[in-house]
Amino acid sequence: MSSDNIMEYSYYPGCSLHASAGEYDLSTRELFKILKIGLTEIPDWFCCGATPAHNVDELLSLSLCAKNLELADEIEGDVAVACAACFSRLKTTQHVLTENETKRKQVEKAIDAPVKLNSNVKHLLEILAADLGLERLAAAVHKPLTGLKVACYYGCLLTRPTDVPNLDCVEAPTIMERVIEAVGAETVPWTHRLECCGANFTLSRPGVVIQLTNAILDSAKAAGADCIMVGCPLCHGNLDIRQKEIEGVYKTDYNLPVFYLTQLVGLAAGLGADKLGLDAMIVNPMPLLREKNLI
Amino acid sequence: MKKKKMIISQETMDIDFVRKVEALSDTSVRRCFQCGKCSAGCPMATFMEHPPNRVVRLLQLGQWRRIIEGRSIWYCASCETCSTRCPNKVHLASIMDALRKLSWDADGPSKESYVQLANKLFLQNIRTYGRQYEMRLAAVFNVKSGQFLKDLMLGPKLIAKGKLKMFHSKNKNMTEIEKIFSRIEEMRKKGEAL
Repeated sequence: MSSDNIMEYSYYPGCSLHASAGEYDLSTRELFKILKIGLTEIPDWFCCGATPAHNVDELLSLSLCAKNLELADEIEGDVAVACAACFSRLKTTQHVLTENETKRKQVEKAIDAPVKLNSNVKHLLEILAADLGLERLAAAVHKPLTGLKVACYYGCLLTRPTDVPNLDCVEAPTIMERVIEAVGAETVPWTHRLECCGANFTLSRPGVVIQLTNAILDSAKAAGADCIMVGCPLCHGNLDIRQKEIEGVYKTDYNLPVFYLTQLVGLAAGLGADKLGLDAMIVNPMPLLREKNLI
Repeated sequence: MKKKKMIISQETMDIDFVRKVEALSDTSVRRCFQCGKCSAGCPMATFMEHPPNRVVRLLQLGQWRRIIEGRSIWYCASCETCSTRCPNKVHLASIMDALRKLSWDADGPSKESYVQLANKLFLQNIRTYGRQYEMRLAAVFNVKSGQFLKDLMLGPKLIAKGKLKMFHSKNKNMTEIEKIFSRIEEMRKKGEAL
């Protein structure tokens, strides 16, 4: 932790960022370093339980998240979360445990500690758009993303559920567009910004993912986007890793690189390809970035 | 699925079960007036034999067995579009969670085994490692579901890109997580939690 940081956060990366979404973790750390935002990873954080836990065992899901919030409470600052699913789970847990006393008592028994609900759970987007602010973000730009047409893909969980105070309007959010326009990119209006990609059916029923994700890629392409920007490792996996397969099934050619928001903002802030993990992307972004003179 | 004739009578309506669903999900199925907005927005409705609004209707009529025999609840992606758009604040995503939990605990009759297997392995991984171990999750799923060749072409590519880690470090505080799992089991045995 260097002393000239302007803000400090505890950091909950989530399981994917330590595995299949390594480039999201890398680009987040590198970007926040140059923005002088301190991130202290919560030591020995656990999996939040994600969808499978709340699907069949709500008490387990709430307890896992409450345990993580307890660990986060020991570190100064709000909790920065990168993954949309972890974000949704942690926020939902805070909401449920505040509203429902019976469930709170059960969770306290399960984790054998009082629940700590004070820390503010924030997605990286919120930190960039609100805490840092778009003006300061724009001031950090070295290489504006001029001419790059971005389709901002929210997916399901960034803005849901509604009864939990969340980062933006649930049906017509603009936070991703505001962030990426602040660093010089163009955004395209498109139909499938909030449609589900099939999420974790990628393991159990990949056919579902192929159908749903194809509709998203098709819509982005039709809107004239050069690339897609996401804030969720699961959406990324489906859009990027399965893109070739989808092109094969539907006999089409999308060739849409799928960036994490921190990769694109980091690129504008002057970070090199090695610090953005661009080589980990399955759909090669280099031809596009060269064409737009961004690398 | 073959359509079975539905007879609504005191004998066929099991309202106790529905009360349990309402308690677990903290929402009332009686609020639904069948506008169908949930099913209109549901990305998974095309894969379900009972779309979301019909799930609620069947609950209102106490016909829950029809729901848990089918695959609808396991094909819900938990995207929460239904809960977001419901004009009567029926939290359908939570109802789906409650139905899955009750079906799961009773080892219900649904034929949708792949989704349930994936969930089971996911939760086992948390208990064993503290975090998700994607490589193991995918490999064990393929073996247990008998689909040895599933996504075989993706594997080497993902390993080359550093997206699948061959080794995984355990959390240092693994006793903590085991305690959470066993305390919950204990509470359920004593009837202190559903």
